[in-house]
Amino acid sequence: MFEARLLNSAIFKKVLDAIKDLLNEGSFDCSDSGIQLQAMDNSHVSLVSLNLKSDGFDKYRCDRNLILGMNLASLAKVFKSSGEGDTVTIKAQDDADTVSFMFEAKKQDKISDYEMKLMNLDQEHLGIPDTEFSCIIKMPSAEYARIIRDLSQFGESIVISCTKEGVKFSASGDIGTGNVKLAQTINFDKEEDSVVIDMQEPVTLTFACQYLNSFAKATPLSNQVTLSMCDNVPLVVEYEIPDLGYLRYYLAPKIEEDEN
Amino acid sequence: MGILHLTKLLADVAPQCIKETELKTYFGRKIAIDASMSLYQFLIAVRSEGAQLTNADGETTSHLVGTFYRTIRLLENGIKPVYVFDGKPPEMKGGELNKRMEKRAEAQKALDKAMEAGDQAEVDKFNKRLVKVTREHANECKELLKLMGVPYIEAPCEAEAQCAAMVKAGKIFATATEDMDALTFGSNVLLRHLTFSEARKMPIQEIHLDVVLREMQLSQKEFIDLCILMGCDYTDSIKGIGPKKSIDLIRQHKCIEDILKSIDKNKYPPPENWNYEGARDLFENPDVTDPETIELKWSEPDEEGMVKFLCGHRQFSEDRVRNGIKKLQKARGTSTQARLDGFFTVLGTTPAKRKVEDKKKNTPSKRGKTGGSGKGRGRPK
Repeated sequence: MFEARLLNSAIFKKVLDAIKDLLNEGSFDCSDSGIQLQAMDNSHVSLVSLNLKSDGFDKYRCDRNLILGMNLASLAKVFKSSGEGDTVTIKAQDDADTVSFMFEAKKQDKISDYEMKLMNLDQEHLGIPDTEFSCIIKMPSAEYARIIRDLSQFGESIVISCTKEGVKFSASGDIGTGNVKLAQTINFDKEEDSVVIDMQEPVTLTFACQYLNSFAKATPLSNQVTLSMCDNVPLVVEYEIPDLGYLRYYLAPKIEEDEN
Repeated sequence: MGILHLTKLLADVAPQCIKETELKTYFGRKIAIDASMSLYQFLIAVRSEGAQLTNADGETTSHLVGTFYRTIRLLENGIKPVYVFDGKPPEMKGGELNKRMEKRAEAQKALDKAMEAGDQAEVDKFNKRLVKVTREHANECKELLKLMGVPYIEAPCEAEAQCAAMVKAGKIFATATEDMDALTFGSNVLLRHLTFSEARKMPIQEIHLDVVLREMQLSQKEFIDLCILMGCDYTDSIKGIGPKKSIDLIRQHKCIEDILKSIDKNKYPPPENWNYEGARDLFENPDVTDPETIELKWSEPDEEGMVKFLCGHRQFSEDRVRNGIKKLQKARGTSTQARLDGFFTVLGTTPAKRKVEDKKKNTPSKRGKTGGSGKGRGRPK
């Protein structure tokens, strides 16, 4: 028996919006410690890693480890029918082939019940090595979304370079070039507006706009986003989900064509 | 020609080994293409009103058109192709080659007859059967590939064997051919339909040898014996033993020697002087160039050279050729996207557990109000 209850169903909605660009379906691994999802997009360029801790839920029970394979478009349909501020309870029997969602409205006496078929999916488990990143940039998530959106108009890829002066995003294409520089700024009154750069070594890496833009869909989840970079290692973009866990994206860099 | 009915057998007994994918998922991969096979495809498929494309002197250019445009398509998708040409056929293939020659002679006769009768559909059909890849065709292609900056390799013997050796050595990701014997030679990944025309919208089939062996519960040695039993290019097989019987026999007896001891020789007479050991040896130790000594280099295309080569007496349209070259340069110019699985190791895959027959059983309970009653859905551990 698996049961998880969350007072604010909107968080789930936001998580779904943040991953359904990259993934069509996903296998949610439910265990005693929480719910996890790890999946690569179709072309094996990026990876989504979602971790929701069990103690972040208002009620959590998982007797046996369970894999819930779901079509994310269908799941989004279910959550679309939930109201603002609804409480959601997710339930599945052991060995079940469906999962049920119950939404309780806050203001009125209304309960909606949805049941969705599960899917049986191929799962590829990836081992992610621990990396000592040379640069860790923490910045307002809305700022990140804005910069990526603006620069995407100039080219297909964005160069992110981090030096001790700050971090620079640049793109170039047929119409010209664009550069955005951010220096470290610490704002004590509004911590979420701070830009914090922790640099061991300067790094410059190139990434495809398409994916960076998809990651920005997670902006509503968190005020801040963390970009971790290291030479020849995928970029990690992390959104912390307050009190519940995190949503991380990994993205393989673009490499220069000369090694052959 | 590959192994008789192997695709069908795999679809029956090991359905999970065949995955259908799209071309764009192979970006960044190095893929060896069986050149003789793809040239043959081009000669058959690249036609206009049933006849091969030719220049004013009647020399065929279908193979060049095919090689030019489809290689560009691969490069545009970020794939790094390397073409592998056949060398001398192994001696043991003589029998098979003789048979093919007989078939050609028959087709020629049928063609003459159809011409006389004036039956256009029949003429087209037999015309296609008479298609042959000549040394000339291969040499022209090699020249074109060199100008395009795409590497090619001349295998000492069978191209599939050379591809398989390179896959095994980790030099390339997969072998692209329609011949199933690339698996028998030990190529871990086999891609089919890779060089098909875009217009046909055929999904690419990706077959993994390790999954084949796991699903069939065979070792590579047993798999080779199975292929010989089913019928390969190098030797005859036993009459009356088809795919189904072959796999049963291999599972029971493990090797051809033991099968021969146990089967009723009157009912299933093995071919005279059956050289299955020779065929086995060809599959296990084929004549290949050591993959470590091969250097693969994708270089800058030679625009003027290509225009001269294609637009000269081969009469390609210069505009189209220059357009194609532009695409080539664009594909080279941009930095390539790396693959995530190049950084992270795949720890293992949990295949979907539910089989087709389980699904049928489950359908009624799916509609049940209480959800699954706990039966059916396999639990991945």
